[in-house]
Amino acid sequence: MLDPATQFHRDRVQHVTRRHFLGGSAMSLAAVWLNSLTGASAARIARDSSTPLAPAAPHFAPKAKRVVYLHMAGAPSQLELFDYKPELKKLDGKPCPQEYLEGRQFAFIQGVPEMLGSLYPFHRAGESGQWISDRMPHFEEVIDECCFIKSMWSDQFNHGPAQLLLHTGNALPGSPSAGAWTTYGLGSENQNLPGFIVLTSGGKNPDGGKALWGAGYLPSVYQGVQCRSQGDPVLYLGNPDGIPRDMRRRSLDALNSLNEHISNDVGDPETLTRISQYEMAFRMQIHASDAFDISKENEAVHGAYGTSPGRESFANNCLLARRLAERGVRFIQLFDWGWDSHGTDDNTCLVRGFADKCREIDRPIAALIKDLKQRGLLEDTLVIWSGEFGRTPMRENRGGLEMRNIGRDHSPSAYTIWMAGGGVKPGFTLGETDPVGFDAIRDKVSAHDFHATLLALLGYDHHQFTYPFQGVAQRLSNITQPSRVVRDIFA
Amino acid sequence: MTDIDLAGPTRAAIMHDTIHFVLRIRFIVQTLLQYLFLLALPVHLAGMAAAESPIDFNRDVRPILTKNCTTCHGGVMRAGGVSFLYREDVLGEGDSGLPVAVPGHPEKSEMIARIMTNEDAVRMPPPDHHPDPLADEKIEILTRWISEGAEWMEHWAFQPPEKPDLPEISDPSWPAAPLDHFILARLDGEDLAPSSEAGPAEWLRRATFDLTGLPPTLEEYDAFTAAHARDPRRAREEVADRLLASPAFGKRWATMWLDLARYSDTFGFEKDPHRDIWPYRDWVVDAFNADMPYDDFTVRQIAGDLLDDPDPRDLIATAFHRNTQNNTEGGTDDEEYRMEAVIDRTNTTWTAWNAMTIGCVQCHDHPYDPIPHKAYFEFLAFFNNTEDVDIDSDFPRTKVAADPELQAEAVKLEQALVSYRNEINDQARETAVSLDGWSLFRPTEAFITPDTGRLDQRDDGDILSSGTTPDSSVFTLRGPAADIAAIKLEILPLNDDPAHWDERGAVVTNFQAHFVSPEGERREIRVREVVADYITGPFDPQDTLRGNARGFGEFPMMKAPRTAWFVPEEPAVPQPGETLELTLGHGARCNGNHQNTVLRRFRVETTADPRLAEALADPERAGAWQHHASLQSRYNSIDGLTIPVMRERPEAATRETRVFIRGNRTTLDEVVEPNIPEIFGRPEQAESRLDMARWLTSEKNPTSARVLANRLWAEMFGIGIVETLGDFGSSGALPSHPELLDFLAIRLREHHQWHIKPFLREIVLSSTYRQSNRIPANLLEIDPHNRLLARGPRQRLTAEMVRDQGLALSGLMHPELGGPPVFPPQPDGVWNSVYSGATWNISEGPDRFRRAIYTYHKRTAGHPGLLTFDAPDRDLCTEQRQTTNTPLQALVTLNDPAHIEFAAAFATRMADAGDDPETRLVHGYRMLTLRPPEPEILGILVDLHSDALADYRAAPDEAAALADDGTPERAALILVANTLLNSDHALNR
Repeated sequence: MLDPATQFHRDRVQHVTRRHFLGGSAMSLAAVWLNSLTGASAARIARDSSTPLAPAAPHFAPKAKRVVYLHMAGAPSQLELFDYKPELKKLDGKPCPQEYLEGRQFAFIQGVPEMLGSLYPFHRAGESGQWISDRMPHFEEVIDECCFIKSMWSDQFNHGPAQLLLHTGNALPGSPSAGAWTTYGLGSENQNLPGFIVLTSGGKNPDGGKALWGAGYLPSVYQGVQCRSQGDPVLYLGNPDGIPRDMRRRSLDALNSLNEHISNDVGDPETLTRISQYEMAFRMQIHASDAFDISKENEAVHGAYGTSPGRESFANNCLLARRLAERGVRFIQLFDWGWDSHGTDDNTCLVRGFADKCREIDRPIAALIKDLKQRGLLEDTLVIWSGEFGRTPMRENRGGLEMRNIGRDHSPSAYTIWMAGGGVKPGFTLGETDPVGFDAIRDKVSAHDFHATLLALLGYDHHQFTYPFQGVAQRLSNITQPSRVVRDIFA
Repeated sequence: MTDIDLAGPTRAAIMHDTIHFVLRIRFIVQTLLQYLFLLALPVHLAGMAAAESPIDFNRDVRPILTKNCTTCHGGVMRAGGVSFLYREDVLGEGDSGLPVAVPGHPEKSEMIARIMTNEDAVRMPPPDHHPDPLADEKIEILTRWISEGAEWMEHWAFQPPEKPDLPEISDPSWPAAPLDHFILARLDGEDLAPSSEAGPAEWLRRATFDLTGLPPTLEEYDAFTAAHARDPRRAREEVADRLLASPAFGKRWATMWLDLARYSDTFGFEKDPHRDIWPYRDWVVDAFNADMPYDDFTVRQIAGDLLDDPDPRDLIATAFHRNTQNNTEGGTDDEEYRMEAVIDRTNTTWTAWNAMTIGCVQCHDHPYDPIPHKAYFEFLAFFNNTEDVDIDSDFPRTKVAADPELQAEAVKLEQALVSYRNEINDQARETAVSLDGWSLFRPTEAFITPDTGRLDQRDDGDILSSGTTPDSSVFTLRGPAADIAAIKLEILPLNDDPAHWDERGAVVTNFQAHFVSPEGERREIRVREVVADYITGPFDPQDTLRGNARGFGEFPMMKAPRTAWFVPEEPAVPQPGETLELTLGHGARCNGNHQNTVLRRFRVETTADPRLAEALADPERAGAWQHHASLQSRYNSIDGLTIPVMRERPEAATRETRVFIRGNRTTLDEVVEPNIPEIFGRPEQAESRLDMARWLTSEKNPTSARVLANRLWAEMFGIGIVETLGDFGSSGALPSHPELLDFLAIRLREHHQWHIKPFLREIVLSSTYRQSNRIPANLLEIDPHNRLLARGPRQRLTAEMVRDQGLALSGLMHPELGGPPVFPPQPDGVWNSVYSGATWNISEGPDRFRRAIYTYHKRTAGHPGLLTFDAPDRDLCTEQRQTTNTPLQALVTLNDPAHIEFAAAFATRMADAGDDPETRLVHGYRMLTLRPPEPEILGILVDLHSDALADYRAAPDEAAALADDGTPERAALILVANTLLNSDHALNR
């Protein structure tokens, strides 16, 4: 026997086909005329409102079928992790040369700060011999899977706007996120879970707020669903106390009967859609609960990730990301808060808080990549790791004074990201910064280039993947600033 | 790899070498089809296909140009020197020197030649981006258009609406209102008939929701049906009048406006802190309830602060444009975000009033519509002179008195304080600027504490600071002493070019002067008063003498050189050997409270000219200061909260507006003056924000009446006559009923004098609105979105209505109007903004059960129950909500504890109907739908109830968990109530 959703879908298709058949040529100029009224709708992807997340084919064969995006909110220091700058080390403690200060805007640095060399030693790792500091010993084990871009840059030097730029292509809220575009285009492979899932750790939402996974001007069904690792993974997922699942089934059966009655009476197709959405909600209760139950993993897995069920942590979220990827969720977005290493207190000190944050992510990221690979998922899963900008090669002097802790200010002109799997060159590094790691100087990659590249990996020509809004065919890669596909990183 | 095209799936299939063959086939098929259509359908419908009807530029030609040509040949790109935006361009020549279009001569027109050629290299649109050539019928239209003289019309929305005659219709007895004529005439043309009239229950539910956002009660229904039996028309009119007079009306319609106003209880951005601005929300509710005409409504919100004799609440209305986001993130550039707010005000005004997407003109000429780049900044200039500057205090603010009786006085005092303070300063400034005998102060010693910074004086006397100057830096200047009757301090930008006056602010917050003897003995020169060139911004120049973190200068950003005169109590005379010591302290921080505003370039002069000192010593002046102090203390004594409002900077502080080159605020071009874009009917006077506000709803403006009529129509029918409510431009949708739109626009503006209530009354009583919303299969096929209105509207409830219906049916709703936002239940952890300790403390008592419009609105973390049903985050002006249908919505109404609470209370009301389960079920069904259940439905409910009852009897723990009294009877009834409240009937109107 068919499950209700399939049955529904089949009925619907038959219904549509029959209508076309019977309607024949009399299917009216009026309908054609009505369509032509909205010239703007021509560019939209035709999507059945009852199955907005049905899987769909992109422009060309994709290299990546899903995305796991690990965003370190607050912007980790590239100079303490991946961007090796021996010249900067030599300048450590010296006043910043004027050439680095002129025409610059800083969030907190005032006057003439001191230069700050990396606090941690660097070495080459893996067969690919890429540079890395000593903060990520486990991650080193998978460094040959990773493709680094050391020449990312932004034009935003505050967290919220920079995060928005990197996730939506616009520094102001209101544009769809990359995840929303992706699920709008590709749909989802699992109709029992949201297609775009967001997980946060670090105790806070990222600075840019929910607009970072918003649908902007796309239909809201494509917005990211923020799931939680404590309590119900999806808001309101659990049945109320006193309505167990069999009772809920009973009430949904009655509800479906009522709604079928209404559908027969009124003939509004939305009623049928509603029946199917209630059924999906019912299935989601089981499937989401199951997907989010990491206690079902064995000890070896927990050991590798460093997970402990029942609490909110980046490690748990990494394991969840693998479970969701396995289940065909299209876009899995993690935000980990706590990387804003200004040096105003212990938590933001590059010696203390930063080192703790590195320890928190080191093991789980390594485990995630190994795990995806071992399960054959890495080849078509694109894993992305980034902050929203970089940090200054100068030591922060908030208020113009020397600070007790060591920190770095925001620096949009260069930062490092890496990707793995999903069609990118493993063990490869693109781009270069100046001798102190302040400016990207070779193969610069903007947020817009990043988006064009991401879409290309997912099978889309970013110029053609558009949505009409405010009179313009809008696109993720932005319509006013230049953007290019960074093919150099393609495997 | 195949490049599959989204817009035209056939494109990829067309192989280059088969194009001609395909074209031929297509041509034959099309000709045949056209022939068939012409036979089958009324001539006017076939429109452009009918050879005998002349080409209508806007209907036939413009859509072809907009879709195929203007992207490259428009305002942004003028590829080959060709543009299709203005007639003179189309009749001119491209870079090739060939005429684009020659009226009467398609064969001489290059555009036709280029469209029709088979040569890929020159064919338009270019084959690389447009594999298909232009369709033959489109070429035919363009050719005929040129043959017929290439007549040009401005885009329909730019032409003022004209009152049309009522069209001929097939059934004169059908219309109940003039608007019905237009609907029926159109249906006649399509050979369609209107649907039959909706039953009383259907109409009453629809009208009650549409007008008040709430479901009708059974009592209201019973009264209506009784009256209906006597006189249906009168009964409906009475209902309409009752609903329009209900205080609930304002709460429902305010929501529409608050989306446009991007109303929120928080600032937005990173920390997203709380903002007190709810009195504005109440103002909107009250304005709708009072049926304030839209022209008044407009002027008060856009420029209420500039009215001669404002109503006490008009300042509150100006909070409309203070709903812009304010970025308090550390280190943000306040000028950048001030400008973002000004840009948002410009764009929001155009979207909300004119449905024009002017945002793109910020960077370049409009790509599709004749609005030049410069015009954007001319319009922006209307908004570029308000006092607000993205600082954390949200300055400027106005007081909303706790006692409404005192509101008028509070506003009067506030205005008096500002103008009186300016008078006091202006009077002294007149003397100050006339002083003679200035001599430049050349310190022999100048240093900064701490010593990480340094001071240097240039030959011209300007003193520059450099190095690291923390925000607490103190400048000390010591030099030759002279007789002093006034000290002049000029604070200067580093750059002399006004186009570069965008540096951080410079404020001296503590000014002291001493004579110092050779032995180091210090004698203070006590300053009586600080006179400023003008007063603007959040600080008073006198703050410089008060030892706080405020003072004199430019804050938060440097927009102009500034001058202040520090005047001693007595003319000061140095003893021989004494030197003059000036100390300039700093303390004001800008840019999200994190950057210093230390002086970077300044100069000091002194004079012995005593006239200013004498003028300030005049006892009359002391009296003026006393009066000012008494006004201030009276103002301070009025209890209330303050909200951000619009306030204009004084004339002397007027900001220059310059064109941003490519939309970048740091590369500035020519200076512009405020103005309205030419195509929108410039009024005689367009100098101030008030002039602009009056123009918005004047007859000069071709769009505002159409836009509002269309918006109200869309609220009632679920779809606009122009489907894109926020885009009436060339790229927006065309009106489905152009004459009706004009009729309604003029009806609203002239006949109803911009009153919304009588306009909605006509709609709700019209035959069009009163049709049954049942959808016959053929109609679904022909007109799935109900644009022709051959049936009544059926809309999903809005997010607010979903909650409010639950409150109403459960009897829990607390009907109070207005006040601070409330905190109904929401799951833990939804609020988790960075660097913010704000928590969601669930309201208890009546505040737990207030309508959704009063739910606290946080931009970065809206209430999930509302967001899930498509309520917008209101970061920006939302001109149209999308209606979705998702599983997450099901989870809200099934499982949200708030909805379970509604179900429980609804069950209580069901139980009140009697002891018999069936009576209870019938009553519940009737409360929801107004009608008794059909036997089949009753059967469904009875079965559910009895099954649930049996289940709960078998599982008393579950019953106890769900039902407050723990009985299986009540638990079963709650489950049925929850089910009823989730039915498709409940979620639609």
